[in-house]
Amino acid sequence: MRRIVGIDLGTTNSLVAYFDPQTGAAKCIPGPYGETLCPSVVSLDPDGSIIVGEPARRRLHTQPERTIYSVKRLMGRGPADVQNELRLFPFRIDSASQNVIRVKLGSKLFTPPEISAFILRELKIWAEAYFAEPVDRAVVTVPAYFNDAQRQATKDAGRIAGLEVLRLVNEPTAAALAYGLHEKRRGKVAVYDLGGGTFDISILKLVSTSEGDIYQVLSTNGDTHLGGDDIDNLLQALFHEKILQQHQVDFSPRAELAQELRTALIRVKHELSEKDAAALRFPLPNGAMFVHEFTRGALEALICPIVDRTMGPVKQALADAQLKPGDLDEVVLVGGATRTPLVRRTVQEYFNRPPHTELNPDEVVALGAAVQADILERGVKNMLLLDVTPLSLGIETYGGAVAKIIPRNSTIPASAQELYTTGVDNQTGIDIHVLQGEREMARDCRSLARFTLKVPPAPAGLPRIEVKFLIDANGILQVSARDVRTSEQHSLEVQPSYGLSDSEVERMLEESIEYAEQDFAERQLTEARTEAEAILSATAKALSAEQVAGLALEEKRRIDAAVATLKEAAAGDDYKLIRSRIDALNQATTHLAEVVMNSALSAALEGRKVAEV
Amino acid sequence: MSATRTASMSPLICWSCRERALGPHFCSNCGKIQQLPRDVDYFAFFGLPRKLWIEGAELEKKFLQLSWQLHPDNFVHATEREKDLSLERSSQLNDAYRTLREPVSRVEYLLAIEGARKEGEQKQQAPPELLEEVFGLNESLDELREAKAGGGDLSALKTRLEAAENNFQEKLAEVDEQLQGIAREWDAALDNNVENVARNKLMARMNDLLNRRSYIRNLVRNVAAELTG
Repeated sequence: MRRIVGIDLGTTNSLVAYFDPQTGAAKCIPGPYGETLCPSVVSLDPDGSIIVGEPARRRLHTQPERTIYSVKRLMGRGPADVQNELRLFPFRIDSASQNVIRVKLGSKLFTPPEISAFILRELKIWAEAYFAEPVDRAVVTVPAYFNDAQRQATKDAGRIAGLEVLRLVNEPTAAALAYGLHEKRRGKVAVYDLGGGTFDISILKLVSTSEGDIYQVLSTNGDTHLGGDDIDNLLQALFHEKILQQHQVDFSPRAELAQELRTALIRVKHELSEKDAAALRFPLPNGAMFVHEFTRGALEALICPIVDRTMGPVKQALADAQLKPGDLDEVVLVGGATRTPLVRRTVQEYFNRPPHTELNPDEVVALGAAVQADILERGVKNMLLLDVTPLSLGIETYGGAVAKIIPRNSTIPASAQELYTTGVDNQTGIDIHVLQGEREMARDCRSLARFTLKVPPAPAGLPRIEVKFLIDANGILQVSARDVRTSEQHSLEVQPSYGLSDSEVERMLEESIEYAEQDFAERQLTEARTEAEAILSATAKALSAEQVAGLALEEKRRIDAAVATLKEAAAGDDYKLIRSRIDALNQATTHLAEVVMNSALSAALEGRKVAEV
Repeated sequence: MSATRTASMSPLICWSCRERALGPHFCSNCGKIQQLPRDVDYFAFFGLPRKLWIEGAELEKKFLQLSWQLHPDNFVHATEREKDLSLERSSQLNDAYRTLREPVSRVEYLLAIEGARKEGEQKQQAPPELLEEVFGLNESLDELREAKAGGGDLSALKTRLEAAENNFQEKLAEVDEQLQGIAREWDAALDNNVENVARNKLMARMNDLLNRRSYIRNLVRNVAAELTG
């Protein structure tokens, strides 16, 4: 049985983790640089290859127009939704896009699920290198407040990356799982999760039963566009303006400079979580140095409105769980942005208890995903997770109003049945519009899908079709219909309002396999060249050794020929050819290697004799 | 349909082993998860009679127990058929728990499956004995909207509206209490096997109370929205 990994696909960083049944603990898997954090940054190299993670992050400064970060903020959204957001981002979206965003990297277009798939595939490679075996199944985390389209987009990303996403788990719930395993907590727990781009609050009840521990989510709330990114955006906009006024340098047309300033500001922000004061020193292109002294107090005054925005969802989640702040037994902080002292203070004051921060806030979600992966792998043995849907599901009724059919915070899977009939004789279709959200009117809710129920011609009121709306354990909607009189399943074609169709995902999967093959070939080539270099230099060294002076001319000539052909192959890019010539050189130098080895050995033996004397 | 009937939960023949399946959710013979018959209601799902008094802690315990068995997490390695059945069953379990957990939605559901829930035109109409108070409330609401638009003094109006809101909140509590009273009568009627006419009368009274409740609740919600908005 192949392993199931847990993946935290974050706005700023992504991680992959696994559960080790032997130690009973979850562990993050390091990448090639030894770091467990993979920056969620993707860059398209001018040669057409895709670069992910730390090397891509470094390209934010050098090739901003070919590099994208924070793509999670674009998942499951339409072009109209993100206009405001895009003002501060250096990347551009294709203006011809309709219901799916297409981001331009260089001259190529990618959808957000495709870009996320590159990140997932990188993590898949990390895990495969770590286990030395293929990994093709994963549990992936999403913000609890993600809607249907955002969840579907995440699942699509997994499919494009060649990963079967066995479950989407809500990030705060995953964190609670990791903490529960770590500390064996009981009672009512609030998880406050402020990440790079999203904010979630979840209220859970941890119950011990004779079968095992149940993690029951009572309520959840949040804001999928609120996080550390917003603090960075705020600082960036503020300092663009300051520099423009004081030094007449305009950063807006200079994506590289804007990125460098952003990075410098993030560094200052991080410093101020540790110290009371820090300075920004930024060299300007006109030779001047922009200097700004920060105090923690001044930064807090700036970001206070952002932290305050988290409190509305916190209060709503508590109200929905029918609890008061004092009713909670534990409060847990998750997400890199909760390192900010102001956030910690705000949470502590509201709940009147010190929050838990024992686990690394960057890793805890991935660790929880690994715990859930283990539950799925081995079956529900001693832990069960009962999560909820964050948003009410509704259908549009007369006059654009919404009838709620599954209320928010319903335990999932959840379903609702609606009975439909016709209003006029021989009506052939019934239009249905499905929405998600809490507002009364359809125009204020998120459109999920529209579809037409096809009805055979009949007198009005005679057809009876039951439509079943089911939210599965991933929080994703499934719709089915049944003719009540015949009990037959009714075929249904549901077009999502935002997102990719199945055939589009299929096509992207094929393209990504092409990318994967390209990447595979590239990796092979690099490895073959490295090996060729190693054997060439070893051969040269051996040939220069004194002991081989008496080498037969014939043998020497054969070796020289093999060296020459390998050098020639290594200059090209056919890794298979390089490999075969490495083998040839290996063969040609077998005797040489023996001679060198023997003389080295006898030298060593002689040395010992000398020493013994 | 008899109200005391607890619908039989299991189909006669298991889809997998083709034996008689006697267990409520799983085949007693081969242990496979079973398909639900179409006519199973939420009471029957929990093996409960159609009574309105349900011990909350007891219901929660059953809910958690069934969750262990039916949740899709248990069926990751199972056949597609079993996965589908688990999804169907666990969603029904959650729907049933959500509905029966709250006393009011429990009454609403009971009336619905007994065919006695009638919202009809009464939904938008004020109950006659409330007409006067509702009229006064609507006036105050109009004044508040005007004052908001014109920038007038709101505090006196707000105090008046808050008093009215409290008044209607109390009425809501009264309705809930009355509803509980009839619910007890209903359970007693089931225990004593009273005839249908008497039971239908009880259901009609519960239906009226539900309509009254939803009317008052809307009022309270509107007032609260105006006050905070």
